[in-house]
Amino acid sequence: MKKSIRFLFCVFLLTILASTTILAQIELILWDHQTEAEPGHEMIKDAIARFEADHPGVKIRHVPTKNDSYKVKLQVAMAANDEPDIFMTWGGGGLKSYVDAGKVYDMTDMLVNSGYINRFIPAGIETVSFDGRHYGVPVISISGAFFGYRPSMFEKYGVEVPETWEELVEVAQVFIDNGVIPFALANATKWTGSLYYMYLVDRIGGPETFQKAFNREGSFTDEPFIKAGEMIQDLVRMGAFPKGVNGLREDQGQARMLLYTERAAMYLMLQSAYSLMKSENPAVAEELDIFRFPMVEGGKGNPTNLIGSAGNNYYSISNKCKHKELAFKFLQYITDDKAQEMLVKSGAMPPTVGTDRLLDDEVNIKMYQFFSEAEYVQLYYDQTLPPELADVHKDTMHGLFGLTMTPEEVANTLEEAARKYYNED
Amino acid sequence: MYKTRPLTIVLFILPALTIFLMYMLIPIPLSAFYSLFQWDGITDMVFIGLKNWRELLNDSIFLNSVLNNFKLVFLSIITQIPIALLLAIFIYKKSRINNLLRTVYFLPQLFSSVAISVLWRYLYDPFFGLINEVLVKTGIIDMPIDFLGSEVLALYATSLAISWRFIPFYMILFIAAINGIPNELYEAARVDGANKFQTFFLITLPMLRSTIINAIVLVLVGSLKYFDIVYVLTEGGPNHASELMATYMYKMSFTRLKMGYGSAVAFALFLIAFSLSLLFLNLTRSYSAKKGD
Repeated sequence: MKKSIRFLFCVFLLTILASTTILAQIELILWDHQTEAEPGHEMIKDAIARFEADHPGVKIRHVPTKNDSYKVKLQVAMAANDEPDIFMTWGGGGLKSYVDAGKVYDMTDMLVNSGYINRFIPAGIETVSFDGRHYGVPVISISGAFFGYRPSMFEKYGVEVPETWEELVEVAQVFIDNGVIPFALANATKWTGSLYYMYLVDRIGGPETFQKAFNREGSFTDEPFIKAGEMIQDLVRMGAFPKGVNGLREDQGQARMLLYTERAAMYLMLQSAYSLMKSENPAVAEELDIFRFPMVEGGKGNPTNLIGSAGNNYYSISNKCKHKELAFKFLQYITDDKAQEMLVKSGAMPPTVGTDRLLDDEVNIKMYQFFSEAEYVQLYYDQTLPPELADVHKDTMHGLFGLTMTPEEVANTLEEAARKYYNED
Repeated sequence: MYKTRPLTIVLFILPALTIFLMYMLIPIPLSAFYSLFQWDGITDMVFIGLKNWRELLNDSIFLNSVLNNFKLVFLSIITQIPIALLLAIFIYKKSRINNLLRTVYFLPQLFSSVAISVLWRYLYDPFFGLINEVLVKTGIIDMPIDFLGSEVLALYATSLAISWRFIPFYMILFIAAINGIPNELYEAARVDGANKFQTFFLITLPMLRSTIINAIVLVLVGSLKYFDIVYVLTEGGPNHASELMATYMYKMSFTRLKMGYGSAVAFALFLIAFSLSLLFLNLTRSYSAKKGD
């Protein structure tokens, strides 16, 4: 009896020993959120296969995790000093908090010396650069927010594509009079409502309004923030958004459903929503057309300015990674011509040079054109701000669209949180 | 015959004990300790004394979430226990139709919370949801009701989904307890000429006392630390209207990355749940003692 236990124990030890010797070959761990539903899934799989074929003895372990749990997972791993070799972020404030903690490899030299930096559109690198140093590469897709609309519905009710805010409100009124919801919006997810707010702040005060407040030279209670809040609440009061807007979820398609069933006519949407529409309802996606967020009379913002992201998903190398050269090489596999082609095929617009030549879809071409014409691209507030403030900002969007907070309260709440965060009191 | 050595006993207890210590007991004092720090989870911890706690007691969102938790406790107790008891009484006898009903009624308990949340999300949908569709078509209301998006209704709508999930559990508990009541009592009652209501109030209900008390404690603790359906259905929204202590703790720790503050919320949650269950158990115990059970 005792002997057999001892024997089993020995076998157990030997297995552990054996498995570690097999693992002696190099393994790089890659974390991202490219699960099956995401446009980058196939591309990453393919890039790994090609990379492993070219580099015998090196293995990439890909661990995709669903969007929201991914953020938590990465955060916990960073806290436990257990971060993977290569990881994905959304750039901006989220990545910066890891950079400040010394977790992210500064790949400026590698990018510049190899000249690979020219592979990407400049705005894409911008989002992952802090104080002139580069901490990642943009990979998946250019993304911006545009108004999608159904031309057939515009025709039916005899309205034209609006170019100014006033015209947009008039168009909305026509739809309301005919029992159609002007704007499909699902605001339980909060960032969806924030799109309207960010755009209005930009159109009224120009990009510097947010930049100043963010750099703490200005304030989140500056006039454009208040004005934007008032304009949104005017829309809410006239009934321009679906009833129960704060209860509908964007990630469960509850906004797109209104557009599909002709209950709503316009939809302030991201490029990724268009990819989803193509698979959910090809007929509507076929008909869909887009226009820019209209200008506000007397406002300072250029009407070509975009709210969006020049890469959507950015890949960085951790400082803990033992094989940074190899990791950097792998990043070239997920941004090369083959990867670019695969991403375009799955409906994305990779932020690498030459993507426009591959596009064959009218809406995507138009989106790309709007993007390249943009005088300024403002990254979403919730990705620019540090996570704590981003969450406060998103919570206030419920108050704004639900009319339970005044525009002043919305502005004050964020400003107070920012003061506290930056220890200004 | 083997004689069990103490070492063997220890070895057999060890795995379960380790897990219990690591995930249940140790984190309690640890979170009390963390609550004294300002910490984002990555950089160094900064000792700030009781600042988190002072902030917590003035945090209107936290206080509101405590209130929401108590509302949930109250709603759960007045819906789950009576309905479960009623169902149990209807179907405790063994028969073919009752067996079928038991299985059907038990189904909600078998689904995962996330599946239930998604199901209820579609039921509540203001435009395509079953509930609104029926109410509007039958002319009871003329505009769809915004269940999950309204700051007034969100918590109640969520608590309905929670009750739907947990009623079957208590129903099974009561069925087992009712079947455990000795038949002689009912026979004696019949001989004495008691009607159905008398039998229920004078035999079944008193005999179920301890089961009902246990069920209430379970509901109490369960509702105080409740998380999953609320998180998936409303995420505590809109604008914290259906926030519970547990969802608030999660948001503070993992979305806003305030681990110290999150720990303070967690420890406050523990204190409230622990003291309330102790209080309730003591109250019922002293009540039993007085009656001389």
